[in-house]
Amino acid sequence: MASNSGEEKLALSLISPYLAFFILITIYPVIYNVVLSLERRGVLTLVNYAEVLSDPNFPLILYNTFIWTIGSVTFQFLVGIGVALLLNENFPAKRLFTALIITVPWAMPDVVAGITWRWMYSDVYGVINDLMMKLGLISYPLPWLGDINLARIAVIIANIWKGFPISALIYLSALKTIPDELYEAAKIDGASAWVRFKDVTLPLLSPIIKTTVMLTVIWTVNYFPLIYVMTGGGPANATDTLVTYAYRISFKFTNFSVGAAWATFTFLLMLAFAVVYTKTLMGGRT
Amino acid sequence: MRGEVRTALLLVIAIIVALIIDFPLIWMIISSFKTYEEIFRIPIVYIPSKITLRHYAKALRVGVARAFMNSILLAMMTSLLTITIALLPAYSFSRFNFRGKYPMLLSLLITQAFPQIVFVIPMLLILKRIGLINTLPGVAISYLPFTTPVVVWILINFFNSIPKELEEAALVDGCGRIRAFFNVVLPLSAPSIAAAGVYAFVVAWSELMFQLTFLTTPEKMTLSVFLTSFMAQYQTRWGPLFAGCVITSIPPIVFFLLLQKYFVKGLTAGAIKG
Repeated sequence: MASNSGEEKLALSLISPYLAFFILITIYPVIYNVVLSLERRGVLTLVNYAEVLSDPNFPLILYNTFIWTIGSVTFQFLVGIGVALLLNENFPAKRLFTALIITVPWAMPDVVAGITWRWMYSDVYGVINDLMMKLGLISYPLPWLGDINLARIAVIIANIWKGFPISALIYLSALKTIPDELYEAAKIDGASAWVRFKDVTLPLLSPIIKTTVMLTVIWTVNYFPLIYVMTGGGPANATDTLVTYAYRISFKFTNFSVGAAWATFTFLLMLAFAVVYTKTLMGGRT
Repeated sequence: MRGEVRTALLLVIAIIVALIIDFPLIWMIISSFKTYEEIFRIPIVYIPSKITLRHYAKALRVGVARAFMNSILLAMMTSLLTITIALLPAYSFSRFNFRGKYPMLLSLLITQAFPQIVFVIPMLLILKRIGLINTLPGVAISYLPFTTPVVVWILINFFNSIPKELEEAALVDGCGRIRAFFNVVLPLSAPSIAAAGVYAFVVAWSELMFQLTFLTTPEKMTLSVFLTSFMAQYQTRWGPLFAGCVITSIPPIVFFLLLQKYFVKGLTAGAIKG
């Protein structure tokens, strides 16, 4: 549709109230948060950031956030693409299986997911220990949420379960856009299923994979309720990420200035990540 | 023949994957109907010998119904506010070309990467100042930075799929643009708009951080806060907690099953185009 000035006027008159509102409700709080982080007792200062960087837990929190993100994103990608490939095939009752495999974990509220996993991980009454012992994988019950390394693994597994559906949905709808002729041609050339995946599917999906991985990294770093409910950041801060730690600083110790500095730090870190990621992996395009 | 073997194999894989993925939901439902004796029995009881409703009765006695009503109110307010705000901008983005259109759309998407934690303290202070702290409308407003951009994207996708000729016919008949929108486009896209509303509903229904922070008194508790406090305050009483979990899961799972296909297209198109 060609643009003309009358239409442009109408469009802007419909959109600009929303943009103004959006700036008020989105940009204003973000700036407000930066201002809070730069202030103590009415004085402009960097002391809150100094407190963040010199916090004895700072390296641990960064490390936890890194492990939590890498673990969750890697497996959400693998499970997501695996499930998408499965559901892109033809077999009976596919709508039902799509609902059972994708919708159930996606739709389950975060708090409910956290409580359910926490119960399943229970060392004495937990079904996970029981099943693993029945399968002969372990010979005695593990303290899943009580041990530093096991707790890290436990929250990541729960997060893979909760988060893979959105990746699977994106890959599934991308797979549907790949024309069958490409696969037919590869088949005629004698390419095996793996080669067809590697040489046809993967290159065609690669731009979408890059975007989705970036989004899941950001979502994972920002994701709060699962850890809050499952471990509260424990044991001994082993599952505390930037976000759960910032929340506790802000509201358990009601230190808004330092809490705001932690939040702004997280924000800047994500911003830096997004810029570097798009520049290096996506050729500067967003 | 090979085709049949392949189909059977795929079906078997799908059944196994579905069982593993759905196990947490199944386990939570089973646990909510177990007697305490069987919840805490070793070895673990997989098929309860007796089904009890006492955990549901207990959950009702300690206020799950009020929390449920609060969650419904909060989610409906969020949904209505979001749709009202997003409708006309989405229509304009879909139908008109104008300078700065793509930068505007992109900036809406970028804000989706903003961490929620950045908003929590400023929103608390803002809601306090305008007198909406510890109120459901206050929490609903705090979701708008997150729900409106996504819903604008979903709605743009819907409007794009409605043929322009329909409105052009209305324009020829002498309707203005806005009248054409309300008389022609809106009725046609009602199911899709409902789906976008459901998306906002579910976001509000499931959210924890803002509800936990902005709702401070028991009578304002939503399901998220109710379940969380249930775990923290008492020696965790797992029975009523499971019952509460089942009750909390029903609306979003039912909604998603019914309407998923409507909003998945909008959601994934955003990611694929981006």
